[in-house]
Amino acid sequence: MQRMFLRRVGLALLLMLAATALTFALVSAAPGNVAAMIAERAAGAGADGAMIARIAAELGLNDPLPLRYLRWLGNAAQGDFGVSLRTGKPMAEEFAARIPVTLALLSGGGVLVLVLSLVMGLAGAVSNGGVADRLLHGLALIGASTPNFFVAAMLVIVFSVWLGWLPSFGMSGLASWLLPWITIALFPASVLARVVRVNLQDAMSRPFATTGFAKGLTRRAVLVREALPNILIPFMTTFGAQFTLMIIGAIVVERVFGLSGIGAFFIEAIRFRDFIGMQAVLLLFVVFFVSVNLIVDIAAMLADPRLRRPRKA
Amino acid sequence: MMKNWPWLILTPAILFVLIGLFAPVLMTHDAAKQDYTAILQGPSLEHYLGTDYLGRDMFSRIIGGARTSLVAMSVVLVAALVIGVVIGSFAGYVGGRTELVLISIIDIALALPSLVIALALIGVFSGPAWVWMSDYWKMIIALTLAWWANYARMSRAVVVAELQQPYIEAARVMGASHLWIFTRHILPHVLGLVVVYASADAGALVLAIATLSFLGLGVAPPVPEWGQMLVDGMSYIEEFPSLVIIPGLALTAVVVSFNLLGEAFALQKVPRAVRGGFLARKKAARVAEEAARAATEARA
Amino acid sequence: MTAPVYSVEDLVIDLYTPSVSVRAVDGASFQVRPGETLAIVGESGSGKTVMTLGPLGLLPEGVAVDLKGLARADGRDLLRLSPGDLSALRGGFFGVIFQDPMSALNPMLKIGPQLARQAQLYAGLSAEAARREAVSLLARSGIPDPEDRYDRYPHELSGGMLQRAMIALALAARPRVLIADEPTTALDATVQAQILALIRQIQQEDGIAVVLITHDIGAVSVLADRVIVLYAGQIAEEGTAIDVLTAPAHPYTRGLLASVPDFRSEIASGTREIPGIPPNQAQLMPGCRFAERCDRVQPACHSHRPRLQTITRGEVPHRVACPVIIAAEGIATHD
Repeated sequence: MQRMFLRRVGLALLLMLAATALTFALVSAAPGNVAAMIAERAAGAGADGAMIARIAAELGLNDPLPLRYLRWLGNAAQGDFGVSLRTGKPMAEEFAARIPVTLALLSGGGVLVLVLSLVMGLAGAVSNGGVADRLLHGLALIGASTPNFFVAAMLVIVFSVWLGWLPSFGMSGLASWLLPWITIALFPASVLARVVRVNLQDAMSRPFATTGFAKGLTRRAVLVREALPNILIPFMTTFGAQFTLMIIGAIVVERVFGLSGIGAFFIEAIRFRDFIGMQAVLLLFVVFFVSVNLIVDIAAMLADPRLRRPRKA
Repeated sequence: MMKNWPWLILTPAILFVLIGLFAPVLMTHDAAKQDYTAILQGPSLEHYLGTDYLGRDMFSRIIGGARTSLVAMSVVLVAALVIGVVIGSFAGYVGGRTELVLISIIDIALALPSLVIALALIGVFSGPAWVWMSDYWKMIIALTLAWWANYARMSRAVVVAELQQPYIEAARVMGASHLWIFTRHILPHVLGLVVVYASADAGALVLAIATLSFLGLGVAPPVPEWGQMLVDGMSYIEEFPSLVIIPGLALTAVVVSFNLLGEAFALQKVPRAVRGGFLARKKAARVAEEAARAATEARA
Repeated sequence: MTAPVYSVEDLVIDLYTPSVSVRAVDGASFQVRPGETLAIVGESGSGKTVMTLGPLGLLPEGVAVDLKGLARADGRDLLRLSPGDLSALRGGFFGVIFQDPMSALNPMLKIGPQLARQAQLYAGLSAEAARREAVSLLARSGIPDPEDRYDRYPHELSGGMLQRAMIALALAARPRVLIADEPTTALDATVQAQILALIRQIQQEDGIAVVLITHDIGAVSVLADRVIVLYAGQIAEEGTAIDVLTAPAHPYTRGLLASVPDFRSEIASGTREIPGIPPNQAQLMPGCRFAERCDRVQPACHSHRPRLQTITRGEVPHRVACPVIIAAEGIATHD
């Protein structure tokens, strides 16, 4: 158990290192990228080749790639992610202002995903082939196929334009978060609801479910008390995978609803060729993906008594 | 599954392909032509779906958008498939240290969501070294590089499994060359699985192209594209929601349809497909079999 | 004679899946009384589990079930009970031991608390008393160090121990009828005898009714007072264990006993298998279902369905559904 745990953590660290190295190599492969941008900002159209070369030399951009990667990584470890070429502010400052926004979006959306998927999956299993089951199946299929920007647009049309209940833009109070949360949650909730439904169905046809009935439980009680604990592990791993994918949702949702989070910053960084900003955000993303996966794996390990308490000989 | 969901539901996917193929014939107007005397009009005999804020014909833009998506999706799918199959098969076939290195790269690529990789690559391509490339091709290449790893991983798995088969050993003993063994015996298995999987991926790719265009990082105007039409329409959402709803519905219908197609394929071909209908069917069949069949031997 | 605690009459059970429909039980009747053990014997697929557990609603999900006939327990008609009442009856009146304890016990749930909950709900004990009861049930089922086992998960116990835990679970609600569905099939040979002994001990101490579903003639000879031999959903022969095991009349019962190695039977001179396979119950022919495999088959067997005829009278009559044997061996009938 402990060895498995340590191995998993080591693997995660290795993956983080490799993935950041890869993104660094990609984004910073051409040293001209950053220097040209700085020169352009400083001298406008007057920037020439000599100026770019001088800036590159000053910043050590001509050093070998591994050296530059290690230097960058060392700085990042101390909280120095460079200065954004677009906003001119240190990336650490940008992070401090924007990470809370994205976290609020992800955590609110995440809670909604958990609740929605469990309710939908369980309701489907309770109905078991009935009208509600079919309806929810269709709903999950559409939810898992509708582009989230279209979901956002429809929500704005219905709740902001027609009904005028909720704001369509900005970050002013809880009300302005409702549409972003629903938008970002719909896709993962739909995927997860099907995972819940399918695994519940599988669990209900296993012998222990029959034992549950024999214990005198009603079908609903067997679903909740016997089947539900058994889907915990696929539920957790799928939730982890979907939660990491919610970063893409965040990128779209932050743009549509005008939330100044990391996702919106990333798109702006790409559009304005802010390579330093891009690099820093990608580092953040890699850390996010790898650690969510790690947490989910460990949580799944702890949730399964067969792994938590392996049988002694 | 397909019993519950009639084939009718695949109409959008089929229409999408047909419309994409015959777009030039179907378009009633030049999709890019602006007409300031006819902006933001409702549906009419002249403009079946009305016009947008530049007076462009919505009907023709939807049709043109289908073609744009279809072409981009097909190019990315084929390119990613070829790269994935080549790299994955090579890794699986040669084995050893080469395989380890390639697998590590594949695994790193798979550790990040495809669309994030595509975004990062589009960012990279925004540098001065890439100005010669159009936005459209930047998107195509970024998506291809973001998409190949899945197919590579799958190809490798199939190759490794096939290499264990006794007939491979037999062919080798008989003096068959590596190329012969690979192309005649292994490649058909690899393609069989990967092509099915890729066809199930079509919906995700259409979605990715639309998302990139929506973010302003994909297909740029004046080329018509649904995601781009949608983001353009967002500015007029209060007075003219149809500018958003029409491309959104077209996109959703196509993606739903492709996803169903993928599900139908998965039920038949992909092993251990964890799908509701499939599992349920298998389970019911097994229970029925157990109830109906009596064991062949009189064990008592 | 005491009144039966669980009885079914002219039970017909049809199973439907999207592709097949099967008449799993075709007009069978049985009853079991307090303090006695009824063994229901047959091959896999003969319908013995469906017949016993079907009226309780204990068939796996994914199959549509249609039950006709009469099934009574605790003075109530099981086939007309509301789902809630049937659940309560399953929990309190019946205890069930399943074939494979490794898959029949929920891997995510600790063993002890499940027992305690049953005792609390159905025996009306307080939470504390229920816990003590659970521990003593584990001890009574022959599980060493029950205090420790109380908090164990199924994967932490061996197969034999798990089946003992399963028995304890079945007893926790203090049931009147214990149904054991192939309780030893999944276990090691050495453990099988211990489990059978445990079931017999419990039955004698508590005086409850036991229904043993099995294809293991050895288990029948150890436990059963009465035996029903089921073939393709119909009763071929029934009677006291002694009658059926020592003087089997139906060709199928004889074949069954003859195929048991080392069984001391007058018929068995070396083991022998019944040729052929049981009929496909999805498309049944008229007539005797065993006809295709029977070594005493007559032309009439294919067209006339045999009915049960009494060949030995008594408190438990010996009845057999084979006119050919009755006629050929000159057995007197008493109907």
